Amino acid sequence: MAPRQGTYGLLAEFDTPGDLIRAAQQARQDGWRRMDCYTPYPVEEAAEAIGFHRNKVPLVTLIGGLMGLTAMFLFEVWVSVWAYPLNIAGRPTYSWPAFIVPAYEWTILFAGLSAAFGMLALNGLPALYHPLFNAPNFCDGATTDKFFLCLEALDPKFDLVEARKYLQSFQPVSVVEVEY
Amino acid sequence: MAHDLHANTLPADLGAPAFVDGWRTRALTVALVFSVIAAGLGFADGRGFDIDHVLRAWLLGLMLTFGFCVGGLALLMLQYCTGGKWGLLLRRPLEAMSRTLPLVFAYWIVIAFSLRKLYLWAAVGDVNAALKSGWINEVQAHAIEFKRPMLNPETFIIVSVVCFVIWGYYTWRLNALGLERDAASPATTPEWIKRMENISGPGLVVYAITMSAAAIYWVMSLDPTWYSSVYGLLFLVGQIYSVLALSIIVVISLSKAEPFKTVLRQTEQHDLGKFTFAFVMLNIYLAFSQFLIIWSGNLPEEIPWYLDRILGGWGVIVTLDFIFHWLIPFTLLLSRDLKRNKKRLVWVCQWMVFAKAFDLFWLIEPNFKDAARNLHFSCGILEYVAVPVAMTALWVAAFCTQLKKRPLVQTNDPHLAEILEAEHVHA
Repeated sequence: MAPRQGTYGLLAEFDTPGDLIRAAQQARQDGWRRMDCYTPYPVEEAAEAIGFHRNKVPLVTLIGGLMGLTAMFLFEVWVSVWAYPLNIAGRPTYSWPAFIVPAYEWTILFAGLSAAFGMLALNGLPALYHPLFNAPNFCDGATTDKFFLCLEALDPKFDLVEARKYLQSFQPVSVVEVEY
Repeated sequence: MAHDLHANTLPADLGAPAFVDGWRTRALTVALVFSVIAAGLGFADGRGFDIDHVLRAWLLGLMLTFGFCVGGLALLMLQYCTGGKWGLLLRRPLEAMSRTLPLVFAYWIVIAFSLRKLYLWAAVGDVNAALKSGWINEVQAHAIEFKRPMLNPETFIIVSVVCFVIWGYYTWRLNALGLERDAASPATTPEWIKRMENISGPGLVVYAITMSAAAIYWVMSLDPTWYSSVYGLLFLVGQIYSVLALSIIVVISLSKAEPFKTVLRQTEQHDLGKFTFAFVMLNIYLAFSQFLIIWSGNLPEEIPWYLDRILGGWGVIVTLDFIFHWLIPFTLLLSRDLKRNKKRLVWVCQWMVFAKAFDLFWLIEPNFKDAARNLHFSCGILEYVAVPVAMTALWVAAFCTQLKKRPLVQTNDPHLAEILEAEHVHA
């Protein structure tokens, strides 16, 4: 992929989460979609304000869990019945109660790993580079006491001059243009 | 928080809404109808009144309502120890459940007067004569003889009554203090929290011991030859399983009107759903480990209990039990959306209460000679529906009466302010 050039978006800085949420709610209402909030601690209303939507992590986890269950159970059946049949206290080689515990453990293991790696795969982490760090006030502010709303240039409504004016109407501390 | 989001206000009237009276009337009607059906079924075989099956079904009804009552007491103690907003939400309904103890005691008295009809160890007086006549086998004769100091009517009654006295003490203490606490000034809240915790902590230990004793005497001893060290714990977890299901049904049904309309938020409903899910898991974990250990050991003293419950048609029941009791609640409660949906969560919880009763049927009926390894239909089997439904309905009526007696929300608690905050809704 060729490196992107030009403007990534416009970053507005606010002093309080209340101001951020008001701006984010208004922006969503006005039809903005490509935008994101950045806060020093989780602000659940912010996620709601920009239209937090479902993701596929639960589905990935479920499929992973079922795969672990099937894989381990079939593996045990294969070992005990065909590969290495043993006479254990005269029990039949296919003794399903003994297979349950490892199969259960693999369900948990696969579900857990699928959740963790599925989450990483779907949210694009780890990211080695993010243009927002080019904004001089972002790095320190977003980890301490500032609340940011970024309108991204990919949004069809985005126009450098209009968007800046629009953000300014929320009376932010600053509006910074972020380059790729 | 700097958010300009408003908090809810607690309604002035915290009493139970008027429709609780309607529930009671409905419950009493159901109790009456099913009592008549139970009595009719008793004669349906045409061989006089079938008291045996009525008593077996009565034991099932006792264990179910006893689970709601004393399990409610246990959950009440648990939430005093752990704290949490879910606890504040459930406190008054749980108190009401615990105050139904006199009714459960009355149910138990019926069992106490019918020991000979239910328990083999009580019916067999002279072990040698019974052995000679072929009534019991050698293993049973040995077990009955050997366990005589524990399994005899006097000990049964003394242990049970002592257990009831202990549960009664905790019920009285926690209920009395619960009201006192509301009347006290808010400045004393930290002391109250400690005080409740100090009663409930040891109370939970005592509950675990007395509960195990009750489960062993009332149900496990139906088969005098068998023993399992996890049996008490299995009933204990089962009680919390059914009490959580019942509590969710109660709080969601109450949320149609104030005050629960305000205090039941989706967040806490979701929390309760997750908690229930954990107990669904713990329940199958214990039940399966007991099976796995006995299956692995393959000892002649232990496996007949399972063989009685698997062979001769019972395999169908145990498979259904697994599906009803674990698979269905487990797969449904996995869903986040379901736990946040009032109507569907209530369905799952109602199903869980039914599944609990179904599990008790599988535990109780195969203890008897005519049913072990021989699942067969008789009018007596239908008593397992009629009698527990009547008993549970009567219990629900008693519960509703108790629920009306107090305000539904405890006010002297720091969680109250949190529960009145507007919640964050997302996805």
